[in-house]
Amino acid sequence: MERRIFMDKILRINMGAEGGPKATEEPLGEYAGLGGRALTSAIISKEVPPLCHPLGADNKLVIASGLLSGTTAAMSGRISVGCKSPLTGTIKEANSGGQPSQVLARLGYAAIVLEGKPKDGTPYKVVVNKDGMQIAPDTSLRMLGNYDLVEKMKGEHGDKIACMSIGPAGEMKMSAASVACTDMELRPTRHAARGGPGAVMGAKGVKVIVLDDAGMKMRSPKDPEKFKEASKRFVDGLKKHPVTSQGLPTYGTNILANIINEAAAYPTKNFMWGRFEGCSNISGETQAETEKKRGGLATHGCHRGCIIQCSGIYMDKDGHYLTKQPEYETVWAHGANCGIDDLDSIAMLDRLDDDYGLDTIEMGATIAVAMEAGVAKFGDGQAAINLVKEVGKGTALGRILGNGAAVTGRAFGVERVPVVKGQAMPAYDPRGIQGIGVTYATSTMGADHTSGYAVATNILNVGGSVDPLKPEGQVELSRNLQIATAAVDSTGMCLFIAFAVMDQPETFQALIDMINAFYGLSMTADDVTDLGKSVLKNERDFNTRAGFTAMHDRLPEFFKKEPLPPHNITFQVKDKDLDTLFNW
Amino acid sequence: MYLCLCIKANLMPSFFQLMQRGFMVKIRVGCSIKSLLCNQLGLSQEYLEERIQTILLDGRPVDDVESAIVKQESTLALSAALPGLVGATLRKGGYYAPLRSHISHSETASSQPIQEGMISLKLFNLLLDELGPTFLKKGIWINGRDLADFLNGQPDDFWSGCKCATVDGKKFELDKLTQIKWPDRHVFLRVKTC
Repeated sequence: MERRIFMDKILRINMGAEGGPKATEEPLGEYAGLGGRALTSAIISKEVPPLCHPLGADNKLVIASGLLSGTTAAMSGRISVGCKSPLTGTIKEANSGGQPSQVLARLGYAAIVLEGKPKDGTPYKVVVNKDGMQIAPDTSLRMLGNYDLVEKMKGEHGDKIACMSIGPAGEMKMSAASVACTDMELRPTRHAARGGPGAVMGAKGVKVIVLDDAGMKMRSPKDPEKFKEASKRFVDGLKKHPVTSQGLPTYGTNILANIINEAAAYPTKNFMWGRFEGCSNISGETQAETEKKRGGLATHGCHRGCIIQCSGIYMDKDGHYLTKQPEYETVWAHGANCGIDDLDSIAMLDRLDDDYGLDTIEMGATIAVAMEAGVAKFGDGQAAINLVKEVGKGTALGRILGNGAAVTGRAFGVERVPVVKGQAMPAYDPRGIQGIGVTYATSTMGADHTSGYAVATNILNVGGSVDPLKPEGQVELSRNLQIATAAVDSTGMCLFIAFAVMDQPETFQALIDMINAFYGLSMTADDVTDLGKSVLKNERDFNTRAGFTAMHDRLPEFFKKEPLPPHNITFQVKDKDLDTLFNW
Repeated sequence: MYLCLCIKANLMPSFFQLMQRGFMVKIRVGCSIKSLLCNQLGLSQEYLEERIQTILLDGRPVDDVESAIVKQESTLALSAALPGLVGATLRKGGYYAPLRSHISHSETASSQPIQEGMISLKLFNLLLDELGPTFLKKGIWINGRDLADFLNGQPDDFWSGCKCATVDGKKFELDKLTQIKWPDRHVFLRVKTC
């Protein structure tokens, strides 16, 4: 009989142990039944002192696969990375696509936890395979970019591995530093980026984690027949929905640019305007056409088992690989927000961000703030590239920029700094889409568009119905969205399934049925709601103990004072309404 | 001025960037969006309901296509289904429409009679492929400077796929099209496949 892989243990690596790093394996224990964001936030909330320094010995970096990762379930390749954020000071969960989630799960680990603080700055390599874990210092890895680093790992361990790594930004402990995850082509193009988890990995002294599942099998469900049947319904749902079957595969996430721009909610030149004149030059439609013309791909997945295929491959003018297809947020951050309408410049910025290991949203917002300060001119693509190179080199200017928009705004005396709890806002102006502003303000993560993304609240029926004529309607919707998102983030499912799940109740039921069949459970939609609420409760509790109050659940003042052209509206949701978000 | 181009079918997407920016069409203004799209432009009601998921009139998301009135010089943007919360938020009549209520289109009674006029139309994403060629075959109005920029920016393989051209009804050499000084006002462009 085939042995089932249970994903029932946690690998803890104490980087500060006497005599060098020490690893232990332990059962999930009280964390049993949790995955992804639910697991990272539970561990951080319980084990990390909320007032600790994010780069100190007491912080932990938790890497957790989703509940369905490592199975045959489509779209189950998201991995969560949690810590106390050096950017926000709050709890943080950043998640990423790529191969590591599937591989880590097949190795039987629900999570890897990096703890303690190494004695010196020696970079370490961690290798996890079917035989266990090895960790060793390797000074040859110091300050390598993610691309060169992964190439070196490929030479040492073959091309069947998956890597999680940090670039120079993580080693320099910059607050915008990401944790890179390799994709199907073993390129470091997917990133758990928001909030600076790369800096925490750097503080732990771990440069790269090499995951090798050779000799391991796919995780098998408790009830294979039911799981197979539910998986089929789930896939059928994704394949019949126009967003997941046509819009995203054809144009990628950047399909949004034109319409958000038309709605005048496309932040332009550091949130000064809601429309960008050069939008059609950088839209998803133009991007896809450019990729196809140059021999790249406009339809591509970031991990095996992805059937939405929202990514792509971007070639330079000479037809050579430059980067993966930059996402909507990246194209906006480095494009419209910096006044840059040249896709090649944006693609180069994306490549540099991936190589240095930086959050593209944070870097785009930061460069725009620097441009407003006069460090460079809006619209100057080469100047933006040069600024990111400063970050990679770790110059004095680069270290300011690499610590994000809030720090850069303070360094240069800029008032218009679009951050909440220190984290830069993504690509939707909250004055245009005010409900998004509620999520930006109240998210446990700082300004985060994905916190209220899993638009399934009508199916979950959390919080009742919303009266659009009442101001509290915005708050109620945002609350429901945040609960639903926290639940989906715990499954390891790509958040993009939300489009089909929202419109098709049978697809949402198929997802619950998959989890039930896999684990032998009988969860209902109410249980999923409770899971989402418990995740948010853990996170909120951590933040409260870290000193965050309702006063931090606010948008920057300029959103209330500066009308956004051309609709000329300000953010109008009242503070007292924002303060009711977590009342349930 | 009037330019008619005859091209290979695979070159049609070359014009889609122009169509994202917006092009002018002559219609009878003063009617509802539904009347415009179904009665004047010939789209089926099913296509309007199922395929065109998001409509913006003068930059404002529309929820009711029967009450929203298209006026002279209005800008109408059409899109298929969009991803993400914001995609769902902008959808016509969607559950999440309250999240953008501050910019939603709200109609007051039309004070304009139904009469000949021009509007700017923008086509996005899947609708470019599905509706773009039809509009190009019927003809669209675009600013002469935009046309000049477009022609000057085309690579060799575009020109090798162009079969012939007429300007103001007279045959014109393809390699001289970029030398024309197109006026800074609307010119009529038709694109046919051959």
